[in-house]
Amino acid sequence: MPRDKSDRRSSAKGEGRAPRRRGMGRRKVCRFCADKSMLIDYKDARVLGSFLSERGKIIPGRITGTCARHQRQLTVAIKQARTVALLPYTTAYP
Amino acid sequence: MADRRYETLVLIHPDQGEPGQKELAVRIQKLIEEQGGTVSQVQEWGIRDLAHPIGKQRRAFYVLFEYRAAPKGLDEVQRTLKLMDPVLRFVSVRRPEGAPPAPPRPAKRERERDEADFEAGEFEGMGEGEV
Repeated sequence: MPRDKSDRRSSAKGEGRAPRRRGMGRRKVCRFCADKSMLIDYKDARVLGSFLSERGKIIPGRITGTCARHQRQLTVAIKQARTVALLPYTTAYP
Repeated sequence: MADRRYETLVLIHPDQGEPGQKELAVRIQKLIEEQGGTVSQVQEWGIRDLAHPIGKQRRAFYVLFEYRAAPKGLDEVQRTLKLMDPVLRFVSVRRPEGAPPAPPRPAKRERERDEADFEAGEFEGMGEGEV
């Protein structure tokens, strides 16, 4: 019990509070920011496909680490690619 | 009105046959030029499997046109494309002025390598939830 208290106090002071990452994940970096030569293009089904789940859904940026700006461009590109059947809307077609 | 850079990807019905498809591609190019466009590149991707069926078809002949045109011209091109029966679908995109021309499609036989790249592109911590 006393230990609990001391813990709380130290955290209240905010000293030595390293930004803790839950789990053992490493920091995710936006792939498009990391590699500027990598352009978001609706014709490039290979790149876009890696941002789709197995069911063909768009994976949220918080999981892939894609920054907001690129995620916006990415979703547009994926949707364009879907209209011309370069990417699926979902799996299992009749 | 200032010209803009556009790019249109057209899906042609597979039953047209090779000559019919090429002919249609030429017709579309003429159509763009009639509307005051200047075509800078035409890429024939050939017959490709569709990611999902369109109009009960599972494959289509893909042609990509890169050109400059006025917005009005694009409207007319799109309107005419919609009326063409052998055109399954198309998508037009405006390209930024400084964008590099579309790189040529790698040869079709690169399927295996494509698949390998997919594996490398996986993300960790991907919650495999029910979707």
